[in-house]
Amino acid sequence: MPYQAPLPREYYALMPEIAVSITGIVIMMYDAFAPKGSRRGAGYIALAGLVAAGVSVAYLWNESIPPAFSGMLLTDKLRLFFDAIFILVAGVSVLMAMQPLDDERLPAGEYFTLLMFATVGMLLMGGAGDLAMLFLGLETLSITTYVMAGYRRGDLRCNESALKYFILGSFSTGFLLYGIALTYGATKSTNFLKIQQAIASGQITYEPLLTIGVAMILIGLCFKVATAPFHVWTPDVYEGAPTMVTGFMAAGPKAAAFAIFARVFVQVFSPDVPNAANLAATWTDAVALIAVLSMIVGNVIAIQQTNIKRMLAYSSIAHAGYALVGVLARDWQSVAFYMLTYAVMNLGAFTIVTILARQGDEKTELDDYAGIGFHSMGLSVVLMIFMLSLGGIPLTAGFMGKLVIFKQGWQAGFHEVVIIGVLNSAVSLYYYLRPLVVMFFKERETPYVPPKVTAPFYAALAISVIAVFYLGMFPNRTLNALEMNNASKDAKAPAAALPAGGVR
Amino acid sequence: MDFLKPNLLLLLTLLPTVAAVLLILAQKFAGAGEEGMRRIALGSTVVIFLLSLPLIGWYDDPALTMNLPWIDAIGARFHLGVDGMSLWLVLLTTLTMPIAVLSGWTSVEKRVREYLVFMLLLETGMIGVFVSMDMILFYLFWEVVLVPMYFLIGVWGGERRIYAAVKFFLYTVVGSLLMLAAMISLYFIHGKATGNYTFDIVVLTKALGSSSILTLETQKWLFLAFALAFMIKVPLFPLHTWLPDAHVEAPTAGSVILAAVLLKMGTYGLMRFNLPLFPEASHYYATPIFVLAVIGIVYGALVAMVQPDVKKLVAYSSVSHLGFVVLGIFSFTDKGLEGALYQMLNHGVSTGALFLFIGFIYERRHTRQISEFGGLATPMPVYSTLFVITCLASAGLPLLNGFVGEFLILLGAFFSTQHVAFTAIAATGMILSAVYLLWMLQRVVFGEVTNPKNAKLQDLNTRELVVIAPLIILMVVMGVAPNLFLDRSHKAVEEVRKVVDKTPAAPAPVESQPTHLGATH
Repeated sequence: MPYQAPLPREYYALMPEIAVSITGIVIMMYDAFAPKGSRRGAGYIALAGLVAAGVSVAYLWNESIPPAFSGMLLTDKLRLFFDAIFILVAGVSVLMAMQPLDDERLPAGEYFTLLMFATVGMLLMGGAGDLAMLFLGLETLSITTYVMAGYRRGDLRCNESALKYFILGSFSTGFLLYGIALTYGATKSTNFLKIQQAIASGQITYEPLLTIGVAMILIGLCFKVATAPFHVWTPDVYEGAPTMVTGFMAAGPKAAAFAIFARVFVQVFSPDVPNAANLAATWTDAVALIAVLSMIVGNVIAIQQTNIKRMLAYSSIAHAGYALVGVLARDWQSVAFYMLTYAVMNLGAFTIVTILARQGDEKTELDDYAGIGFHSMGLSVVLMIFMLSLGGIPLTAGFMGKLVIFKQGWQAGFHEVVIIGVLNSAVSLYYYLRPLVVMFFKERETPYVPPKVTAPFYAALAISVIAVFYLGMFPNRTLNALEMNNASKDAKAPAAALPAGGVR
Repeated sequence: MDFLKPNLLLLLTLLPTVAAVLLILAQKFAGAGEEGMRRIALGSTVVIFLLSLPLIGWYDDPALTMNLPWIDAIGARFHLGVDGMSLWLVLLTTLTMPIAVLSGWTSVEKRVREYLVFMLLLETGMIGVFVSMDMILFYLFWEVVLVPMYFLIGVWGGERRIYAAVKFFLYTVVGSLLMLAAMISLYFIHGKATGNYTFDIVVLTKALGSSSILTLETQKWLFLAFALAFMIKVPLFPLHTWLPDAHVEAPTAGSVILAAVLLKMGTYGLMRFNLPLFPEASHYYATPIFVLAVIGIVYGALVAMVQPDVKKLVAYSSVSHLGFVVLGIFSFTDKGLEGALYQMLNHGVSTGALFLFIGFIYERRHTRQISEFGGLATPMPVYSTLFVITCLASAGLPLLNGFVGEFLILLGAFFSTQHVAFTAIAATGMILSAVYLLWMLQRVVFGEVTNPKNAKLQDLNTRELVVIAPLIILMVVMGVAPNLFLDRSHKAVEEVRKVVDKTPAAPAPVESQPTHLGATH
């Protein structure tokens, strides 16, 4: 008798989500029963849960699992690679938050619970095979991040940040939802595969309905990834939110939104689908415009910032612009790789900002960094590495990410966009060099007490630094795992199609 | 030897970084003081120099090259190699480093550890640039060089160091990022045409230079993208404005490295990439570049003449001298190209030495204003003698190195297809260089001691003599026996010339062989 799996096979596809959800619940229970003194425990539970999720992703990597739950959940390389990014981001975010939560006497249990459920949201977004699932994941993620952004209840800036994020986030969700509704109206389905079939067979009830629907989805997503001109919320929210939350928001939700970008625009509304050429041409033009705008707006405004969190906020807008080049090239692998590189260097930078900001995020102005280079040498050198990586200097992850994405963009024929992107990288170096100038070249006038760096911070920094150099020098394994569309297969291979089957 | 030969280039590239790590460890765990760290840095740079010497015999040897897979998905390989073109530049780098480390022995007092670490990292980057045979690898080292230099200027520099450091960094980056875009474009054009997707410099040069894969229109764009990066680095007029700032603000060792090696990265790039990859475009743009080079030669010399600051004077003289190099490269003749290559070395040796001499008096007087000096020959006879020799070498006095390079370049430019007027105007640059250098010498070294502060200055000490001696010896050797150097690069230069200038070289008259200047006959 063949071995009977205890659960239907589809549940295996859900393992990472299940692991993280259970972790979230366990942390809540732990928090209710554990003695109040030990706040760290919740963090360690979260880390253990994330490791379990990571293991299940690794297990799924080599399995071929058909779309599960009536095509709601797709399991392919796109999902799993992004899942790995989400788990990494969540893990570093946990490490980054342990000490500040302790110092500021903020409730740790709730924080890590929220973080876990946010991660579940991201994981669902990565695997979404249906517009409904996509929305479910996005909302789970958004609602938890709204709360996290306002986690410092007594802090006015923090409240402002949360409220702004909530209002504009809901607004953008409205766009997305309306877009989903219109798309459903046009194609009579929310399932990606069925939407594709409907387009291919020409059974669209009313063509403009679909176009408007797709445009709405695009706008909703552009809000989420913070691209110009939908970026205005970003700097205030990033500045006001506790730094550890900002670090998470800049890396996690952005990557999740890009996973959807890759899924919906690269795969579902791909020009390879019969009858979709017009639609694809339309969104391609729009995305190209948004990409260029984001790069320019992000970089130019970042130059004028004097607060490091605001500067990183504008830099994240610019980076969203670079990543969109991969979407344009219809190459999800380069987007995924870019998001990985961006996540590690950004998390690293925000960890340093968290450490240097002290309690209540007091010290986030660039002036606070004056002359610390030779007082807190380790921290400054590490921040320098992240800044150079964000600026795309070779040997670091940032360079490889840009190289891959610009190369794919060039291959797909978006020469002008790539050249604008390349020039923008040069502009961006101006402000990424500023913290270095301030830290190393200026003398400090006020007294400086080096901050205490504890083990979780060391762990977070070690992971980020190693990842930055590993991806920057030896990206081969990672890129091969992605089955990167190597140009030596001359004819441009069609963008990886949706995994088929399982749809009832 | 079995181990050394195939791994030598990797060793040369990595050893400085290893030394930097050792230095940090020695300080952390063995309690090495500043003196100890300086010794480690000096020792390792000397060892690296000695290790690089066998290259003279081994260059071009296929056993020397290292070609390993690196990033398959991008198409980049880890390909290192040395040919006659890069051989001397690698040696120039490895020779300059111990001199630079030794030159800052007493003048750099703050943050010695970081200073030495950045110097060593810089060496890795510079050697990497010259031995990379893969474009992505080349680009990687090219950019990595910026970071340590940025810090050397920014932390240990003079008053306006921040401005100079940022300007240096941004100027170079703007050019090089466009070069990256051009590299990517080359990769796809070559791949589509041949089915072989690669960034390998050797493969690309062979395939693109002598075929019609690239149309003239494409060549023009790509040429400009590459040339912009290199010409900023050279720097060619009017892209030179970062150079005086960087030179003046940099500490002595930084200036020496900047002048001796970093600027050569630009001219090396022109010879390695622009000419062999885009021969038609090179011809198309030769005249405008000739014009810029000639303007650079004359303008640099004229501006140098009126500088009140010795360091600025030498900085502008670099603009002038590098103009000669570019002139030689775009003459597309064997003589011009060889002269250009030789002049790169000459400039490295003599301008490096000039910056050292400026450093010596700056350490004594903490000023570089020409008006503050005068009559240094009385208190400092040895210094003055050597300084005069170096200035004469830089001005192109026969039997010293500068003459050979400039003469070859002018010959090459004369026999090129460009108008003779360019050569004639460029030749005035040689005269002008004699004017500003001799005039400066007259005001600094000769005459009566007018400023009492100068009366009791100490002459060069042993360390300073050791620093300067190798360069002085080289100036004489390179001036008397240029063939020792030129013979080894002849083949590589001729290969480039053959690609860019398809007309067969006119048979040389028997009396004057093209590359032999008669010095050894």
